[in-house]
Amino acid sequence: MRVATDVGGTFTDLVCYDVDKASGRVVGLRTAKTDTTYPQFDQGVMNAVAKAGLDPAQFDFFAHGTTVVINALLSRKGSKTALITTKGFRDVLEIARGNRPDLFNLAFKKPEPFVPRYLRREVDERSSYLGDVMTPLDPSGLDPILEDFRKEGVEAIALCFLHAYVSPENEVIARDYIRARWPEVSVIASHEISREWREYERTSTAVLTAYVHPAAKRYLETLGRSLAAAGYPHQPYIMQSNGGIDTVEGAVRNPIAMVESGPASGVLGAAALGRLLSEDKIIALDIGGTTAKCSLIENAKTRITTEYRIEWSRTNPGYPIRTPVIEIVEIGNGGGSIAGIDQGGRLYVGPESAGASPGPAAYGRGGTRPTTTDANLVTGRINPANFLGGEIEPDMENVKAAFAPLTEKLGGDMAAVARGIIRIANANMVNALKLVSLNKGYDPREFTLVAYGGGGAMHAVMLAEELQIPKVIVPTNSSVFSAWGMLMTDMRRDFVRTQVVPLAVENSARIESLFVEMADAAKASFASEAGAGKLPLRLQRFADMRYLGQEHSVKVELPDVAFDATTVAAAAERFHTTHEREYTFRLDLPVEIVNFHLVALGDVPKHEPEKLTATGKAPETAIVSERTVDFDEHGIHAASIYDRDRLEPGMAFTGPCIVEEAAATLVVTPGRRVVVDDYGNLHVHLNG
Amino acid sequence: MKTDPYTLEIIKNALVAIGDEMFLTMARTSMSPIIYEALDFSVGITDAKGELIAQGQGTTVLLAMIDSFVRDILEKFGDAGIREGDVYIGNDPYRGGGTHLSDFGIATPIFHDGTLVAFAVNKAHWLDVGGAVPGSFSTNATEIFQEGIQMPICKIIDAGTLRQDILDIIIANIRVPQESVGDMWAGVAANGVAERRVRELFDKYGHDAVLGAKDELLDYGEAMVKHELAGLPKGEFFAEDLIDDDGRSDTPLKVMVKVTITDDKFIADFSGSAPQTLGPINNSRTGLTSAVRLIFKAITNPQVPANSGSFRPIEIICPDKTVFTAERPAPVSTYWETLMYGVDLIWRALAPHVPDRLGAGHMLSVCSVVFAGTHADSGKNTILVQPLVGGWGGGTGKDGESGQFAAADGETYNVPIEITEARYGVHVDQYAFHNEDGGHGEFRGGKGVVLDYRMRTDDFTVTGSFGRFKYPAWGMAGGRDGSPNHLDIIRADGTCEVHGKVTGAKLAKGDVVRMVTATGGGWGDPKARPKAAIAEDLRNGFLTEAQAERYYGGLPG
Repeated sequence: MRVATDVGGTFTDLVCYDVDKASGRVVGLRTAKTDTTYPQFDQGVMNAVAKAGLDPAQFDFFAHGTTVVINALLSRKGSKTALITTKGFRDVLEIARGNRPDLFNLAFKKPEPFVPRYLRREVDERSSYLGDVMTPLDPSGLDPILEDFRKEGVEAIALCFLHAYVSPENEVIARDYIRARWPEVSVIASHEISREWREYERTSTAVLTAYVHPAAKRYLETLGRSLAAAGYPHQPYIMQSNGGIDTVEGAVRNPIAMVESGPASGVLGAAALGRLLSEDKIIALDIGGTTAKCSLIENAKTRITTEYRIEWSRTNPGYPIRTPVIEIVEIGNGGGSIAGIDQGGRLYVGPESAGASPGPAAYGRGGTRPTTTDANLVTGRINPANFLGGEIEPDMENVKAAFAPLTEKLGGDMAAVARGIIRIANANMVNALKLVSLNKGYDPREFTLVAYGGGGAMHAVMLAEELQIPKVIVPTNSSVFSAWGMLMTDMRRDFVRTQVVPLAVENSARIESLFVEMADAAKASFASEAGAGKLPLRLQRFADMRYLGQEHSVKVELPDVAFDATTVAAAAERFHTTHEREYTFRLDLPVEIVNFHLVALGDVPKHEPEKLTATGKAPETAIVSERTVDFDEHGIHAASIYDRDRLEPGMAFTGPCIVEEAAATLVVTPGRRVVVDDYGNLHVHLNG
Repeated sequence: MKTDPYTLEIIKNALVAIGDEMFLTMARTSMSPIIYEALDFSVGITDAKGELIAQGQGTTVLLAMIDSFVRDILEKFGDAGIREGDVYIGNDPYRGGGTHLSDFGIATPIFHDGTLVAFAVNKAHWLDVGGAVPGSFSTNATEIFQEGIQMPICKIIDAGTLRQDILDIIIANIRVPQESVGDMWAGVAANGVAERRVRELFDKYGHDAVLGAKDELLDYGEAMVKHELAGLPKGEFFAEDLIDDDGRSDTPLKVMVKVTITDDKFIADFSGSAPQTLGPINNSRTGLTSAVRLIFKAITNPQVPANSGSFRPIEIICPDKTVFTAERPAPVSTYWETLMYGVDLIWRALAPHVPDRLGAGHMLSVCSVVFAGTHADSGKNTILVQPLVGGWGGGTGKDGESGQFAAADGETYNVPIEITEARYGVHVDQYAFHNEDGGHGEFRGGKGVVLDYRMRTDDFTVTGSFGRFKYPAWGMAGGRDGSPNHLDIIRADGTCEVHGKVTGAKLAKGDVVRMVTATGGGWGDPKARPKAAIAEDLRNGFLTEAQAERYYGGLPG
């Protein structure tokens, strides 16, 4: 029995595959949704297990995604953290990069550092950028600092020394010295988390890691104990931001890698679906209540970046975290996004959201401004009888009142304004989709859009029309799609190191030896752990490269062969091609590698879902009603309403129509053809 | 056919998004840190007549450079002379787009169905444009001819064909052509992105709809700022100040402003300010327009996208040939020092009246430095040009911000120590807040920083322009003035030279250049500062016990 659980902001989801041990085939699928339990998240997980009627003693595999890290960061509920730096540089954390993204705001407020100045201390030590230790650390200099930290009640200590990305020796000495003398305190050395240069970003990464370390450790240990007490015989696997899972031991060592585990598992689900259906070019789109997120997947591979920041916005520089994260573009447009008119008379949608409380005007819980969900109701795209899964009846009087100020200012009736709101919301989402595709040199016409989350199916077809994407897939079980993705993933660890090396034949031995050294480290890290050592290991090589003189680099996958004189030219060509695709030009200049990036994947046994059986019923048998739906530019039509639960493989039908399921509504514009595949996924073909 | 309001809205958003996309392309592909870290560049699109439609920017001081550059092209070449496939280049400081020679403008006309519909423009600081000193800015030039190559607007690409002869002239006149030519291509690529996006919009929505949306976008900009203008206090407001000197003599220069705010006008009159100077602190009229636009935006709506419409209420009065409106052949390479006085004067005049938008005075000078020499390890020539972070003023209800770039900068990033040491071969001793006296107040000024570079070779030179060396950031409402900006050279033998401006000073191995930026001005009487805040400052080392005794009425508790 294979189980995955995903703790979200509101719900905790569970997916379970019953696997027949003899045949290795999936013989059953169970899902459950329970409320997320703050702050004892493990309780919600055990509730979901109970609700699904499962016995952990029967589990062969248990994967888990959690918001415990991002939650601790955003609510500032981490531990009291101190920082030790190289002499002369304790203020690097507070000076940060000095940037002011809100350019013209002369009353700008800089984000507060996570460690106040009196808990930032310095030691006499120094390494050079070439990796030489110039001043070895005398660890006895740490004694008075540690004494002060004890007095202050410090719970976690971050270490970040200059050039530790290339010369970690002094950090190792300090870390070991502190651990030996103060085993209860959490100690994080920057090089353990990030081996990329730029001291502010690495310091910030070490500080935020230390800040969440005690809470993450407590949480994972509690979860492990709860599962063990219920009879689970193995260790759970933990979902990471890089789109893989890791052992509890790995996650405790590097807890910051869980920071984006929720969104990552959704993208992972899209990648897994692509593998299953042999779709090699996918744009994943997740539309929730407050935001829409999208990400591009090529050949089942997600794009990874370490240029990640929390709380970053157009007005806030945020806090950088140099950990590998799936590249996701997120915008403030979801079902709850509020529409309004600003002082210049412009109609806008989002980023302000009505959330779950008060929620859209139709909830009748005090929401006085129209949201995207209300607009979808007014146009007839959402079934009033199936609103919130039929739990409540929409308050249409309240909706009318909410629209009134807008219809007054903009003219036209409520339907026209509702169409306008959806059109602007769609345009915002199209911009986000362009950021992951067109702006990176990818042509959306070659991609398939995989849409999930509560609002994905509602908007997907019209978004695809706008971008000329030929096909939309709405997966089965889309409401627990993220958890399902975890059942289909591998164990993954990313190793990234800054070493500036010109890409030249005479350096090929050096390049190869660095990759080999990193591969050895990767193998050792897997071999040392019970949950990882036995997994078959695959390695992938990437390099962040640039033209000599540039600062920013482009990530390029390298062939998995030993680096020698012949591979240099091929690697350079891959860089030129990628640079040209993303930035439209190539230069006749030397190329250099800045970061070496090795991905180690441990193959976890996976099981494909079973195909559903078809009884040969006509698609009309799934039609439950008909209603008038406003398809905007496609006109107003009487649309057939299909019940998704009654669809079966092989069925095909054509829009205008609506497909309804408990938590989602698929809107199909006129002439678009819907086909149900062998697994129950809906494929909407836009080219007839 | 009349376009519906929602489609217009979508076109407007798309036009604004083009500025952002150009900006990213430029930043990601550029060759020099002044662009990719300091983001000292600006991109934008105008309509066929040079009205600013959208702008993407990393710094605030280039607000008037995009539209005026295009108007100069139109004036020089006329509609008939501008052809599809052209790319224009130029750096004339006294005309459209003008700042100093280091900033090169690149413009690409955009055609749709054979009609000129728009221009894509970028303006970026090149690492070096030739002239007397590396990095092309000095604090002691006396004529423009000493400051680098002058490039009146010309075609670098003529109907699709690169003019290699022009490019050769540029290459022959600058010190690090590889970087600058790389940056030129980054600029051409950024314009290319805009060209594609603009054409897509015209293809999809048609000529009339896009032009209609453009007009509406400008009107929208005007409506947004007029709404804010209505909330500003009406009347006349005055301020005057002293600029340290022009770099050639010690004489301070008096500058002044009278701001008049009416229901629909914002008039800035700089009459009475000092005449243009012998030294290179002169600013041109385009720079003055940028200065007024910057502060106007700050006090009206900082977030609304910049376009010509949003600047319609502005009127600027200033005689010719002042330090704000210099003319050929006055040197201009450190123009920003004076441009920022244009901003700061209006800031000072209005700060008491818009306390939610403006606090006490800040560092003002961008504190720009140029280090040039031979890399200690690689033996290659290197030039490092960078602005520095410093302190901002306290305001109503909040202390000033510490370690932030000056208002002239914006989405500007300091150069990491680890990159400085690797790329330029100097050793960095410290990067920290300092405790020099200044900025005391009920809400104190934010802290300036000290940054020490230790030389590892015998052939580096340093140039730096640190304005507000003699006349520090102003305090208000009883708060004390801030501390001065200064650059010290501490010789290996321990002797120390303190500078506000320095050009081409020779450095030897073991010498330390100590760059110290201002702590911002304080707001309110220091004696009114809460005891808890004083205790916190003492604990964090932001205040010495002596300072607490002297300014804050003693130690708490």
